[in-house]
Amino acid sequence: MNSDSEVPTLEPIASFQPSLNTRAWMTAPHPKLPILATASADKTVKIFSLTTFRQLSSITGGHKRSIRSCAWKPGTRNESVLATGSFDASAGIWRHDDHPGSNEAHNEESKNDRSEDEDDDWRFAVILDGHESEIKSVAWSAGGQFLATCSRDKSVWIWEEMEDDNFETVAVLQEHDGDIKYVRWHPEEDLLASAGYDDTIRLYREDVDDWICVSTIDAHQATVWSLDFEPPKNPSLIDSVGPDAARQKDLQELEKSGPRLASCSDDLTIRIWRRTPKGGAEDKPLRDRIPSIIRTNNVDEEWLEDACLPKRHERAIYSVAWSPKSGLIASTGSDGKIVVYQEFWRDSHDQDEVRSEGPPTETSREWKVVAEVENAHDIFEVNHVCWTVRADRGRSNEGEEVLISTGDDGEVKMWSIQRGT
Amino acid sequence: MDDNKDNANPVILNASDLPTRHGESLLKKADDPIGIYLGGLLSATQPIDDPFDEALSASESESDRDFDEEIDAQEIYDLIAPISDPEHPLSLGSLAVVNLPDIHISRPSSARSRISTVVIDITPTITHCSLATVIGLGVRVRLEQALPPRFRIDVRIKEGTHSTGDAVTKQLGDKERVAAALENNTLRGVIRRMLSTCE
Repeated sequence: MNSDSEVPTLEPIASFQPSLNTRAWMTAPHPKLPILATASADKTVKIFSLTTFRQLSSITGGHKRSIRSCAWKPGTRNESVLATGSFDASAGIWRHDDHPGSNEAHNEESKNDRSEDEDDDWRFAVILDGHESEIKSVAWSAGGQFLATCSRDKSVWIWEEMEDDNFETVAVLQEHDGDIKYVRWHPEEDLLASAGYDDTIRLYREDVDDWICVSTIDAHQATVWSLDFEPPKNPSLIDSVGPDAARQKDLQELEKSGPRLASCSDDLTIRIWRRTPKGGAEDKPLRDRIPSIIRTNNVDEEWLEDACLPKRHERAIYSVAWSPKSGLIASTGSDGKIVVYQEFWRDSHDQDEVRSEGPPTETSREWKVVAEVENAHDIFEVNHVCWTVRADRGRSNEGEEVLISTGDDGEVKMWSIQRGT
Repeated sequence: MDDNKDNANPVILNASDLPTRHGESLLKKADDPIGIYLGGLLSATQPIDDPFDEALSASESESDRDFDEEIDAQEIYDLIAPISDPEHPLSLGSLAVVNLPDIHISRPSSARSRISTVVIDITPTITHCSLATVIGLGVRVRLEQALPPRFRIDVRIKEGTHSTGDAVTKQLGDKERVAAALENNTLRGVIRRMLSTCE
């Protein structure tokens, strides 16, 4: 794939209506249905249709302060389950029955009918109390078994749904020295990442029956606002690897590491972190390992910097999103820009140049900016960006991916990546 | 009562020593900043029917630029100097908490960008002032309300003037912390009282 002949551009497709007219914090695309949930400072979550770009319902009444974050539970059947996290220090679990075709029916209903049904659509099923101050982020594990919440109270809580509407606290993790901004689960493992005001990223997993911190990343110089994991089997590298032996080897090493982690910060950088493959700690002779007094086996992980993306933002970067379909990364923040980055295999020509200047670079890959939009939400800050699959009539193919941005102006916008020829 | 205050005997500047703009028409403008800025604020936040309509956004950005050029450090100073100190019946200007030379405005970094930045370094009256965060918050809120949203406002504690200056600066720069703080009714009441002398 050559970047010169195929320069993608970011085209605005739609603004979801009506505008919230107040700060909107973030938007979560439903894992299966063509709908979005937008968390807002007006204490509500708005549900928007990806086919009509209109609001389907407004989830109200559960929280006393801004809703900062929301997340759809993956893998549910015949119902949708949404978790919300609020500045009122509580998290909420909301349920909605998904009758077959109900979303289509929903779209066709008249406005009047809809407003009558609206309150019944979404049931406030559970309130999760425990945090002492604002909840900043909520996230379901890939299998939907665990819900993580994080707060300014410097703690991450992991909740497990034992049976319907009965949530148990399985861990309270107090590793951070400050406000925790974001939690995100690994796409394949029950590995949790958190990031925050103390400029660090921490990773946790369950060891026997305790959740423990298995790694700390402290290379950022300011608040880490958001995280996202690489999709498993990232197509952007696999599809273009070619016959080159060095590339093939690098790809094999990457597969051993598993999905990488992207982080964005107030220090204006976006960094990619990669787990050092274990090579099996058991393989090493016992005497070479530092004996662990408490732990029965070594679950510690080493995450090292794999790349730093080209610097394009001039103010705090609030959101980073790694596309599950294409492997592109998008970022946005206080400067109102949306930037899209793509990872390329280095041309062997480039590699020679690098080598002549100094020691050989560690990877045969590099990130380039492939699309950029300024003033994405007029003159307002953009709080969040995420990827989803396009569902309206204008889509060019079944799997066309689009970006969704959410801003301080209360707008939720959809952007299409147009690849020229 | 005074014993409870962080700084019971602050240095107070004489009103005639405070920086003002000389020249009548401009003075008039500074006397009534609200009237002037409200126009800009409304046009900037008004919902636009079709944000992707190029003609509309082009004409709007042009008028925004004209407006932009009228704002200078003195006008920023005039907006924040009358804010009351939370513990003294005095203004931040007369206490020299806000000072004209510590206000810096940067214009958009590129031709396409429309974002300007206002950086204000505030000087707490004493180095351990526990109210530095509240004062900074008051300044940030005042400017967020008075300036068009195209301005990014960075309120910092002037270097070397406070024992935990960096920590306060970091907090004041965190939009999420600021947003959550402003949902606290007690704090909102304090800030409302501080800003009541601005209008």
